[in-house]
Amino acid sequence: MEQDAQLVQHCLQGDGSAWEELVRRHSRRIFNICYRFTGNGTEAEDLSQDVFLRVYRTLASYRSAHGGFATWVTSVTRNLLIDHYRRTKRDRVTDSLDDAMPVVENKESTARRPDEQALLGELSGQVQTALTKLSPELREAVILRDLQQLEYGEIQRVLSVPEGTVKSRINRGRIELARVLQQMGVRPS
Amino acid sequence: MTWTCEQTEARLSDYLEGVLTPVEMADFTAHVPSCGRCAPLVASVSELVTGLHGMEQIAEPPRLVYSILDKTLGPREALTGWRAILGWVRGVASIRFAYGALSVAATLILFVTAAGLNWRHPKLADLQPATIYRRANSTVHLAYGSSVKFVNDLRVVNEIQSRLREDNDLRANPESTVPESSPQKQPGSTDGSKPATPRQQNRANDLARQVEMMAMEMPEVCSGLGGL
Repeated sequence: MEQDAQLVQHCLQGDGSAWEELVRRHSRRIFNICYRFTGNGTEAEDLSQDVFLRVYRTLASYRSAHGGFATWVTSVTRNLLIDHYRRTKRDRVTDSLDDAMPVVENKESTARRPDEQALLGELSGQVQTALTKLSPELREAVILRDLQQLEYGEIQRVLSVPEGTVKSRINRGRIELARVLQQMGVRPS
Repeated sequence: MTWTCEQTEARLSDYLEGVLTPVEMADFTAHVPSCGRCAPLVASVSELVTGLHGMEQIAEPPRLVYSILDKTLGPREALTGWRAILGWVRGVASIRFAYGALSVAATLILFVTAAGLNWRHPKLADLQPATIYRRANSTVHLAYGSSVKFVNDLRVVNEIQSRLREDNDLRANPESTVPESSPQKQPGSTDGSKPATPRQQNRANDLARQVEMMAMEMPEVCSGLGGL
């Protein structure tokens, strides 16, 4: 199987099948990051498309020496998610969990459609509901570390913050998520 | 060193990742189990992390990849010429398609045969709706009649076999085998000295007569029983 970097080179030479292979390899992971962050299937699908559009347009700027293609695509995803979050912020009633207060975002994010609930399963759905109550910084840290299982170094590159900040966010995110789940009466195991 | 609850909270991920120094680990494990605040926190976060790591990825919508490809590479062009034929053959050359085609063919043959079409000398008149209906109706009635006859034959054969078995059982139980301790319990049945009673003899005669009558009514069935 060809490496991502080789596929990127083929893409840049106009090979459509190489691009198709890259999309097939990474679309599930990107969709999952978007879904876990937004908690909405339609938004996640639209955002995933936007991610790959941006990746396609800026493919020439990718340098394999600066990290893996997956990390680069994850960075693009994270930036788009933060942009999306800021754009839609005014539509939500939000508080920061940094204030140590349980927060309820908009009803849309907590009341899941039946098809989305079926997609997730019970525990996964409850975790998803709890995730959407975290601040975006803590949410993305937990998603990247515990759901996508990225290494600390990769998360550091994706978030463009120091390693200490990454560790702190992951730690706080886990504790907050456990507290929210406890308030919901959910045991995650 | 005294380990505090604030330290537990700050270093919890380090503990879960296994990056605490031996001294820190010793302090941590000395403090947490006896602390009413830290023990449940460590347990709940530990369970959470285990649960999160065990969660599977959600399947993306099937249309997602095609939507992305359409938006980036442009709408896919329809194949023409030999590529179109090759694409069609690839779609057809699958086990699922072969099973489907076989099922459809078998069903068609069944229906056409039931409609009375002569495969050796097919005629256009055979395809007229009235002819198809008449022949299908006739075939269905014949099939129904045959199945009813078959079931009745089976019942008769079963009846004959059961009666013959009863008769054989009567013969296979000689009167001497009846326990002597109960010779008088069935008066007239046997005590080893008396012959069969008139009642038993009548029953045996009845059986023989019934079998003979059945044999006359259904000679083909009973001829098959000759070997039994």
